[in-house]
Amino acid sequence: MRGLKLSLAAKLLWRHWRSGEVTILVVALALAVTVVTAIAVFSSRMDQSLIRQSNTYLAADRVVSGRFAIPDLWQAQLAFEGLQQTRVTEFSSMVFAIKDNVDEMHLASVKAVGDLYPLRGQLEISDIAFALGDDIAVAQSVPPQGEVWVDSRLLPLMNLSLGDTLAVGNKDFTVTKVVIREPDTTNGFAVLGPRVLMNQTDLDATGVIQVGSRVTYRWLLAGEESVLQDFEQWITPQLGEHYEFKTIKNSQRNISSALDRGTRFLMLAAVMGVLLASVAIAIAAQQFARRQTDQVALLKSLGASASLVRQLYFMQMLMMGVIASAIGMMMGELVQRAIAASIASLVNVELVSAASSAYVTGGLTGVLCLLCFALPPLWHLPKVSPLKILRRELAVATVSVWMKGVFGIGAIIALIGFYSGDAFITLSIVGGFVVVMLLGALLALLMLRYSHRAGSKAGSYWRFAFANLERYRVQTITQMLVFACALMLLMVLYAVRTSLIEEWRLQLPPNAPNHFIMNIAPHEKAELETLLVENVLDANDMYPMVLGRISALNDVAYTEDERQRSNSLRRELNLSWAETMAPANELVEGQWWDSWQGKTGFPGVSVELEEAQEIGLALGDVITFSLGGITLQAEVASFRLVDWNAMRPNFFFLFSPGTLNNYSANFLTSVFIPPAQKPFVNTLLRQHPTIVVIEVDRIIERIRSIVEQVGRGIELVLWLVLLGGVMVLIAAVNASMASRMQEIGLLRALGSGRGLILRSLTVEFALLGFFAGVIGALGAEALLIGLQWKVFEGNVSPHYVLWFAGPIVGAVFIGLLGVFSCRRVISVPPNIVLREVES
Amino acid sequence: MINARNITKSVSTAEGSLTILEGIDLAVDNGESLAIVGASGSGKSTLLGILAGLDVPTSGDIALAGKNLTEMDEEGRAAVRAASVGFVFQSFQLLPGLNALENVMLPLELHGMVDAEEKAKTYLERVGLSHRLQHYPKQLSGGEQQRVAIARAFASEPDVLFADEPTGNLDSVTGAHIIELIFELNSAQGTTLVLVTHEARLAQRCSRQITLEAGKLIANNTMEGNTQKNVVEPDVTISSVKAES
Repeated sequence: MRGLKLSLAAKLLWRHWRSGEVTILVVALALAVTVVTAIAVFSSRMDQSLIRQSNTYLAADRVVSGRFAIPDLWQAQLAFEGLQQTRVTEFSSMVFAIKDNVDEMHLASVKAVGDLYPLRGQLEISDIAFALGDDIAVAQSVPPQGEVWVDSRLLPLMNLSLGDTLAVGNKDFTVTKVVIREPDTTNGFAVLGPRVLMNQTDLDATGVIQVGSRVTYRWLLAGEESVLQDFEQWITPQLGEHYEFKTIKNSQRNISSALDRGTRFLMLAAVMGVLLASVAIAIAAQQFARRQTDQVALLKSLGASASLVRQLYFMQMLMMGVIASAIGMMMGELVQRAIAASIASLVNVELVSAASSAYVTGGLTGVLCLLCFALPPLWHLPKVSPLKILRRELAVATVSVWMKGVFGIGAIIALIGFYSGDAFITLSIVGGFVVVMLLGALLALLMLRYSHRAGSKAGSYWRFAFANLERYRVQTITQMLVFACALMLLMVLYAVRTSLIEEWRLQLPPNAPNHFIMNIAPHEKAELETLLVENVLDANDMYPMVLGRISALNDVAYTEDERQRSNSLRRELNLSWAETMAPANELVEGQWWDSWQGKTGFPGVSVELEEAQEIGLALGDVITFSLGGITLQAEVASFRLVDWNAMRPNFFFLFSPGTLNNYSANFLTSVFIPPAQKPFVNTLLRQHPTIVVIEVDRIIERIRSIVEQVGRGIELVLWLVLLGGVMVLIAAVNASMASRMQEIGLLRALGSGRGLILRSLTVEFALLGFFAGVIGALGAEALLIGLQWKVFEGNVSPHYVLWFAGPIVGAVFIGLLGVFSCRRVISVPPNIVLREVES
Repeated sequence: MINARNITKSVSTAEGSLTILEGIDLAVDNGESLAIVGASGSGKSTLLGILAGLDVPTSGDIALAGKNLTEMDEEGRAAVRAASVGFVFQSFQLLPGLNALENVMLPLELHGMVDAEEKAKTYLERVGLSHRLQHYPKQLSGGEQQRVAIARAFASEPDVLFADEPTGNLDSVTGAHIIELIFELNSAQGTTLVLVTHEARLAQRCSRQITLEAGKLIANNTMEGNTQKNVVEPDVTISSVKAES
């Protein structure tokens, strides 16, 4: 019997499909699944690919690092298939050049690497110091045993040439290559000396590492994301306080923030896409249910029980859900492939495959949308009285509008919550939505009233159109709100996309500083400034920098345990002072020097907010610093928020002017060096080998290309969501079609000309669209303010263009769509129209 | 076949309770044909709905095909309708998305009949529409639509056929054809017939005629010459196998 019911339900569904009754429902459902699958799969692929690309800055996908050697036990126990791994050991050491019986020595930053280094990114080497362009090659291996590769500047510093001997501790090495660029030296403020790169297997022979040596051990890992996640779960409980687990997200703030915003936007787009498709589904289901009332009454008069009716419709919905979801998932896969292909051809990126959960998200969307939006309008069908077959006027007890509203809003909350995983975004979108709709209804009512007065003075078809809108006031307002909602969501998405990309561009202006010059000795300062001016290079101010450690808080020394727990308490900090607050700094608590008055008599220090939270500082606390063995106490005067994306010299600790005068400082600045002037870096390093230049131009370039990629993805996704918007409009116009057909048919039968009907229809739909555009623009602006304020953390500014574009696009688009949908009524003889309406 | 006792139906309105039917006693025998006549608003369709188990009386008892409908819930009444009842309506009630064949097949499929299509085709042939199987309601004339509805009603071989103004939407010539068709099939299948009509011509074809006025039964006349009950004839060509529902 169940099989029979299933086949009957399938037959009924097929008949409904054939007669066009479920077309919009199925298409809207498939569209929702398409949008979500495409976005979920694409953003999962992009996210993972970009993370992998960004991981080149880690030289791996994940890194475990610590001050102690990575326990062999971990490696021995490592049972994660397909994980690549290698080790890096980094420390500072004096190196000796033995040449012509003259010993040259210098402090170098030595890095011993395993055979597979780097797991991600490339190591660039050359046979020429300060090489450029074609002279640079990608290393195919690490330095062989007995050889070292060194930083360009070490050669002039120690008067070395390739082939010479360099001693690290007890072992002599031959210098065979020059290291031009390593993938993982971007947070190089800790670089104490020029790089010396050696093979890990030579490390023991040097005898440099003793108990208590300051060494950083890193365990580099790369592999499939799922395996890495398993690994992370396995390793995290074992890390203790001595080891850290690093991903690109916690080690590269600027890149991860670009990724985050991109992902958030895509998530928002998915939400909007699903909301639009859901509105279309709800409207289509409502219309389907209305048409089904008679059919159910008939089925019941033929002896179908309520439970049979329920089963038949439930099975139909289920089949529809499965079919539409399958179609949607296939379409989504195609769309995301198209997006991926278009991006891959524009930017040289190879996208990795998506996490399988992305497909599940797509499929689940279909089921959720159907349950939440299609089921409530159909819920009452089994309860339709069979008597309705005899007495058509009999009222049908449908689920109340309020109930549907509550269900719909609940469903929207569930859906947005499901995609965003963020309660604030969910509630603000839903809250904004409800408020906008309520205000929109009020506004619609007012607009209708006043425009009706104006319309009554206008031409005949205007009068007719206004009268029509006014006559079906409830229907008009409902339609207006549905159109407004679709337009609002599209406008929000468009504006967010535009401002997001614009904001990224602003964040990285074309001449943002792309090189940090540090370790500038006081006597080099003036000379460097002249050199910069001569080369017409625009540098920031020179910031003095003193290295120091924190030793106590409020005269209580930190324990060893506390030190191990906090990176800031362990390492040497770059301390500086400033008269005025640098750009990209924002005071959040306390006072800047001009208005600050200390309570303790100590000089003041302004601390970066996150740093202060990590160490647990409060305003007025007294921190004891140790600067090369000399103690300095300072009172916490203020907390600052620092924009690390700004690519300027920034400091966690800034002292009041003059505080550090008695300590030997060197200087730091950042400068924009155009690509054409890149050789300047080499000139500078040749003349001043002790200066350290950190090239952030590559990071900036990378971020820029990531932003471009995300931007392109966003544009394509926007088109998909736009399709969702069009679906809503078509569904809403279709829903009102039956009554319009009857009315127009009647008017034509009574002798109204086609011209008059066509013009009044155009005006009626265009007015609907215009008013919807006004409400939509209003709602979009409100939602945008909320989103900019909280989600994208950008500046809140009005979007004037929406105020023009919304109503005009609404009027033109909905006007055309309406007339297109009604074209048959105008071209087919009225008796046929009326007869079709009756049947 | 039908036994109604002291049927009263009232509904509550803004002005208070309104009695639509009052104290109706009625018995319809197997194979009998009964016409319910009366002015508009006299309660004819309400009575038909109650007799067919589509609605329940406020008070009183009805037994249909030996089952007491008033003691049943809607599910039980649906089962009785499925087993014993067929309908023909004034407005045909064909599903616009289904073609003629599918409309006739619908109740058969609903009852889980395996040879639904064959049976539907046979009945459409009997009502003279074998050439219109694939036509949709809007492609059929009013008379043709009603013939499809008749085929649908008889295809499930009901014990009782309820017809609500079956000729009400048709011109007199077409209406006459439809009346012929109903009585022809009715006599062939020995179905009990209960119909509501305004049309004297149709009412006179029935073996009995009851008249309602303001919800009360004011006349119950057996029609002379029409007293013969419909009895199942042995040479009926249509298989009368009832499907399990």
